[in-house]
Amino acid sequence: MTGRGPFARRPARPGIEPFSAAVTGIGLVTAAGVGAERTWHGVCGAGAGPSVPHLPELDGLPCDFMYTVDAPDMKAVLGVAAQRLMDRFSQLAVIAAREAVADAGLDPAVWDSGRVAVVIGSAHGGLPFYDEQHTVLTERGARRVSPKLAPLTVVNGAASSVAMDLGAHGPSQAVSTACSSGTVAIGTAHQMLRTGACDIVVAGGAESVRSRLLIASACQMRAVSTRRDDPRAACRPFDSHRDGFVVGEGAGLVVMERPEHARARGAVVRARVAGYGASSDAHSAVAPDPDGLGIERALRTALTDAGIDAADVGHVNAHGTSTVANDLIESVMLRRVLGDHLLVTSTKAMTGHTLGAAGGIETALTVLALQHQLVPPTANLDAPDPAVPVEVVSKEARHAVFDCAVKTSLGFGGHNAALVLTRA
Amino acid sequence: MSTSEEISALLVTRFGTDPEAIRPEVPLRELRLDSLALEELRLLVEDRLDVDLEDVALSSRDTVGRLVAAVRSKAGA
Repeated sequence: MTGRGPFARRPARPGIEPFSAAVTGIGLVTAAGVGAERTWHGVCGAGAGPSVPHLPELDGLPCDFMYTVDAPDMKAVLGVAAQRLMDRFSQLAVIAAREAVADAGLDPAVWDSGRVAVVIGSAHGGLPFYDEQHTVLTERGARRVSPKLAPLTVVNGAASSVAMDLGAHGPSQAVSTACSSGTVAIGTAHQMLRTGACDIVVAGGAESVRSRLLIASACQMRAVSTRRDDPRAACRPFDSHRDGFVVGEGAGLVVMERPEHARARGAVVRARVAGYGASSDAHSAVAPDPDGLGIERALRTALTDAGIDAADVGHVNAHGTSTVANDLIESVMLRRVLGDHLLVTSTKAMTGHTLGAAGGIETALTVLALQHQLVPPTANLDAPDPAVPVEVVSKEARHAVFDCAVKTSLGFGGHNAALVLTRA
Repeated sequence: MSTSEEISALLVTRFGTDPEAIRPEVPLRELRLDSLALEELRLLVEDRLDVDLEDVALSSRDTVGRLVAAVRSKAGA
């Protein structure tokens, strides 16, 4: 399949000019690999495979495994003083942020720090510390509870930790829209650059919910896979035998800049974020709109915002969670809105469903797909669901020519988001 | 280990404090121990030395020596 080549962009809306943010840096910390290159090779099937261990803290649960990051010694990397004030999602975010900023060729020692913003999404923040301290409360009493509970567990912990680590003095904030948080964070960053609120943004998502409490609840909801005999095969987006998602931890951040800022410093632009759209299903606490009307609205808004025709989109990194409902509803919507020429993938079988981090990780992977003109495969897709009406890349990465790609995300509560990205 | 050595060990291992900087006359704030860190340290010392520091009032303006003396007074109580 091929894209249509160079395309013309229309004005986004009357009086609103299109705006493309330059993506100049990427940082990835996932179960597929620590570092952007390792994660990319991992999702393209060239690595040793993701880490999906059984975890002792999940013993006895119907789902007792999750995708974990083989992270470095956090005390050594971050320093004891800083590390003690971050729960794991913040630590993963700082590692990803350092990589993204270095990849962009930026030096925090000399940048105009007041013009650097941070926007990081997370669904659950420091839930593991919350879980741990609740145990302390019930077993040892109130006087043994840590005074660090609030600063470590707040959802903005990753954003504030990254701002402190980088010395970024512009606006910083968290975005929390469940599993679309990372995508909404990048969309929010796009809007901040567009309005001139900053010149540089470090944006994306971070999550780590190694918590018996949360996984127990996800099991009760019957939302997660129970394929305990083969955890690496449990997440199988768009496959006929999918039975739920598998939780993962990770962080994915991009450095985005106003185009003239990137141009003035001669930065290498990996890709561009050209449009963003968001919507609410206003339908259910957990289930997506059965006809996918909410995510359709977000996607159409993003296309309009980018001034790009549906026919120009060659690749979609889908939400593709491996739940029966999501994969069907999303794929039918993609076919309806974008047509039948697409190459679709879900990279979650290699990273797990990283919840609030997913949109950040998958947007970074979409940037790499545009750069390399290569669509990563959907791992574990052995028996494609015949009801899925789009072409999902499986088995191995596929070379293709496409100038425009889309990232879609759906969050519990009906928070939908879509980004349109273009080649640099 | 003495009380002083126990506290120094906690500061180094749990707060990343430079062991060379831990001297009796040094204010705790110069070791970057803010109000949150002092409350965290209180819990750690209580667990480590099996003392009750609930009514010990310390601020980051106090010195390492004052901290050690306060803990000693409770340990001997």
